[in-house]
Amino acid sequence: MAGSVQASVALVQLRERLCSRTFAHSLLQSSSDSNFRKLKFHISSSISSACSKVLLLRGDKGSGKAAVVELVLKDLKAEHPDAISVVKLYGLLHNDDDNSALEEIARQLCSGHEFSFSKTASLEENKEFLMDMLKEYGLARKTVVFVLHEFHLFTQGKQWLLYTLFDAMETFTSQSIIIVGLSCLEGSEQQLEKRVRSRFSSCTLLFGPPSEEDGRRLLEQLLHLQKDSSLPSKYVVEFNSRLHKIFSDKKFKEILSSFACADGSINHLLRFLFVASSYMDMESGHLSLQSFESAYSLMKRQPKFDSLHDLSILELYFLVCMHRLQCKEETSYNFNSVMKEYKAIQDAYRTSDNYSHAVCLRAFEHLLDRELISFTDAKGRNDSIRFRPVKLLVSSRELHDSLKSNPSCPAILQKLLDHESYM
Amino acid sequence: MERRTPAKLSLLCPDSSPAATPPPTPGFTGPRRSSRLLTLSPGPTKPCNDASSSPITLTSPIKAKRRLSLESPSTDPITPNRSESKRPKRRVNCKKVLYGGAELQVGDDVYVKKRESVESDSEDLDVEECRICFRPASESKVMIECDDCLGGFHLRCLKPPLRKVPEGDWICSFCADKKSGKEVVWPKPPEGKKIKRTAKEKLLLGDLRAARIKSIWREVDGTHWLRCMWYRTPEETAAGRQLHNLRRELYRTNDFGDVEMESVLRHCFVMNPEEYRQASDQGDDVFYCEYEYDVNYHNFKRLSDFDGDTCDGYRAEINESSDYEMDSDQESDNDDTSIRRSSSPRNRSKVFAANSRKGRAFWLPKIAETKTQGHGKRHKQTKLEKASAALSLASRPMSHPCRNKEMEEIKTFVKGAIGDDQCLGRCLYIYGVPGTGKTMSVRAVMRNLKSEVDLGVLQPFCFIETNGMKLSSPNNIYKVIYEQLSGYAVGWKKALRCLDEHFSNGKKVGKKDQKPIVLLMDELDMLLTRNQSVLYNILDWPTRPNSKLIVIGIANTMDLPEHLSPRISSRMGIQRLCFVPYNHEQLAQIIFSRLKGIDAFEDNLIELACRKVAASSGDARRALQICQRATVLAEYRVKQSADAKAKGKSRVCLTDIEGALDEVFKSPHIQRMKMCSKFGKIVLVAMVNELHRTGGEELTFEKLSERVISFCSMHHVAFPGYDTLMRVCCMLGDSGIVLCEEPKKHMSQKLQLNCPSGTDDIALALKNCPEIPWLSLYL
Repeated sequence: MAGSVQASVALVQLRERLCSRTFAHSLLQSSSDSNFRKLKFHISSSISSACSKVLLLRGDKGSGKAAVVELVLKDLKAEHPDAISVVKLYGLLHNDDDNSALEEIARQLCSGHEFSFSKTASLEENKEFLMDMLKEYGLARKTVVFVLHEFHLFTQGKQWLLYTLFDAMETFTSQSIIIVGLSCLEGSEQQLEKRVRSRFSSCTLLFGPPSEEDGRRLLEQLLHLQKDSSLPSKYVVEFNSRLHKIFSDKKFKEILSSFACADGSINHLLRFLFVASSYMDMESGHLSLQSFESAYSLMKRQPKFDSLHDLSILELYFLVCMHRLQCKEETSYNFNSVMKEYKAIQDAYRTSDNYSHAVCLRAFEHLLDRELISFTDAKGRNDSIRFRPVKLLVSSRELHDSLKSNPSCPAILQKLLDHESYM
Repeated sequence: MERRTPAKLSLLCPDSSPAATPPPTPGFTGPRRSSRLLTLSPGPTKPCNDASSSPITLTSPIKAKRRLSLESPSTDPITPNRSESKRPKRRVNCKKVLYGGAELQVGDDVYVKKRESVESDSEDLDVEECRICFRPASESKVMIECDDCLGGFHLRCLKPPLRKVPEGDWICSFCADKKSGKEVVWPKPPEGKKIKRTAKEKLLLGDLRAARIKSIWREVDGTHWLRCMWYRTPEETAAGRQLHNLRRELYRTNDFGDVEMESVLRHCFVMNPEEYRQASDQGDDVFYCEYEYDVNYHNFKRLSDFDGDTCDGYRAEINESSDYEMDSDQESDNDDTSIRRSSSPRNRSKVFAANSRKGRAFWLPKIAETKTQGHGKRHKQTKLEKASAALSLASRPMSHPCRNKEMEEIKTFVKGAIGDDQCLGRCLYIYGVPGTGKTMSVRAVMRNLKSEVDLGVLQPFCFIETNGMKLSSPNNIYKVIYEQLSGYAVGWKKALRCLDEHFSNGKKVGKKDQKPIVLLMDELDMLLTRNQSVLYNILDWPTRPNSKLIVIGIANTMDLPEHLSPRISSRMGIQRLCFVPYNHEQLAQIIFSRLKGIDAFEDNLIELACRKVAASSGDARRALQICQRATVLAEYRVKQSADAKAKGKSRVCLTDIEGALDEVFKSPHIQRMKMCSKFGKIVLVAMVNELHRTGGEELTFEKLSERVISFCSMHHVAFPGYDTLMRVCCMLGDSGIVLCEEPKKHMSQKLQLNCPSGTDDIALALKNCPEIPWLSLYL
């Protein structure tokens, strides 16, 4: 019983680390060429020399841009208390075209100084407030850091938020306005309006997947239990040594590399480890290779294939019929034409799978719900389902595989498919 | 001066309620002043201070304070500081200074001597004397003040004598006689005693001035200076003394000045109406202030209620914090003052929000209150940092090379327009690609002309700058112009009406009626509306007689006037000025002029950058940015190496400038492709392969997946499944390397490459990829 208590404590510890937004990235900050160091250097140098700067962080989703910014700002706030205020804007929320972005800026600046804030202030008032604030910040030698999440969404429309900020950077001399843009989309600076682009210059930091060396170190530091925790040291030692054995296992390395093939970002890795920790054996309280394997098989599931797998025979017939129609180069087909093909097959082969019209319609609707087929047109909602043209969303290879793997699939169906497509 | 009716005014500016004539003081004209000298006991406490924190509490403070100020000669006013010997070599800000026995601190009101009358009668009367017996007040003899002439009288000296101070207003018999038209004979002073005037009288006669201390600092040579906000008497305003002005009324102004500590006489107390009403017996130096007077626009603004609150809270705060840090040291350096947080407002219902127009003045100063620790200007700058600062866009260089011809042209245009006696309205259209110094040139010319105005060579003019990109809607430009012209913020429709009147029938806004107006409209093309009414209105004004308006428009396109409707382009005139892009020599000249005296770049590197920029855009901003970026890269390199040897030769070298150029000119896609996951790379190569085969621009996911499967089976890679492949495609789409439709379409999802130079980029990026060597086979 004590074992399972230990295990649950250990599990809580692991999960706390895996779910924290910044923990994994804080482990990587020490390496010499890390983005953390570069970003910190840029921001602190422009704080100390009171010059403005635009920093653009690019990288795939989940590569830790926001987390690194958070870590750097936390560090710098500790180093320069009260000298930095941060304004965070999100491209999806704070649309460039209306008051919301400026209102949000005003709100955050107000709340940072415990000022009272009015929601009813007009666009002009908010704009003047921003300008006055920036002026005051200049006098007080403070730094404002604007963090623009989804930077590429700010580069659409009139872009006067960016213009205002960039122009302010040119206007106020004795002060540092730092704009940190986070973007996963390449070429967002190409979308800038020409006047805005002329004022825009950025240091670019590229965020990529961790190197092999870093990845290994990350794994160890994420999963190894701390020696000085509340857990008995004997358990901790054994837990860690077992992990060590797993890490050196060839099979584990294979899993890891094939897992990273599709997406090597840190967030993806964290998700994988979280699932693996859920498979921890609570009796013994240790992670085993088994748990990683089952986590991997869970992560690499193909929902589309699974849904094909679950189909009834009638539905498979329908898919095959549609595929045959497609092969006959009928570009457009609807329920009625598919039904005709189905009936023709039934007439020719006289199988036991001859169903009534109503049942077939039900099966057809089910396929639509599963999004294995879809309407080709968006309009015509009032038309009956039977007359609207549909199209197949499954490739022939997928269909073939699913028929093969379905044990109850009649041989005739496979033959029909093969006969047509592989002749 | 032209007077406007109050009704019209309130219509004009509803929110700020300013007035061109001084507004009448409220009806309760008798805030009970009569009992001012009733007793001597409490003495003048500071109006807004808690008694405990007031620096000097004495039983009869009038006398005591006076004596102090008389005893300590004003030549050596400052209490010796114990840190005298190690006086720092720079300005030191102080919060409190002991001067002449009295303690001056920021936010106090003081009398300040006017320069010419400093020595005129040095004997300053401390206590007011009775106008009849010419003896001062004392314990037994209570004095009363006439509400008209402000003269003091002993109750006993009056005829008939009064027993106690009457309720309500009291007017002395002399004033009453004067009013009823009788001849008045003032009693003569006894022989050998000449009439002395009190500070109050001097102030009201204009021999002294009153001011509020805004900041105090000690110069390098040890003298103390104040920055103060002047008060004005009604006589000193443009409107003169009005009937409704109280005798002790002062106006707050937006006029600031720096004075030396020696010219400060002593405290006075300027109060808001509420305080003034309550202050019944606080000595002679009490004044009443209800309005703010704008010295530029000559208008009056009632100090709103929260203003009183402000100074209350502000002062209370100062006292709080000063209690613990002031006991040992009279002065405190800016740099080691503890951080003062702005307390939350005591009275939320009364205070406006910080982001509203009215609340800003209240909240914003609080930012400066919280002090930063050591600020960055302190540390010694390295060569690279200096270069980086000089190259930043925000730095304001003294000279603007390479634009002399254009600047001369603008200058002659403006001068020609202003110099005319008639001052006919004119237009100038300036165009050029971004970063060619259009706005900078106009501003420089305007600065130049301003200095000529100061020298008296040119007649004064008024320069208004607007920027189309900074307006939330084109119509707001009226508002901006009107606000800069008159100082009032009104809605754009009203502003349009007023401006229209101003320019057409000579009904002038503000006091700028004599001056021509130069209006700079930056980013002119942003002012285009559907019916182009904004541009039409603005460009129509110069054509009207007596408008005295000169418009300078700036935009990027050469043929903007041709795109406009003919009635606008005809009004725009034909005067145009082109700013051509800089060539590489000019760019280099600009950068060298900024880097004068800073040897941060190795030879020929600047030329390299300039040639690159000139070949692409000729944007001066771009060139500056690249060079600055290179200095930052060099700085980072030097810091990383942390090597004494490297620090010695800290100059920008070729790798730095190449890095900076790459960042600007090189497509970022290639780096990004190299960072893709393994299947991302395979997908890209499969796309290139498939596109080559079909010769098309786009392909469907079905085709792509078949190609990937064939790749996989050929090179013994496990196929990850359709859904994973779809995820990889979507991630490529998110990163912008591939354009793709939404994944809902699945098999028929269309994909397209989105690289600037098509498939070549992918070949460049993925050839010789160490992870998947077989990819090169397909490129």
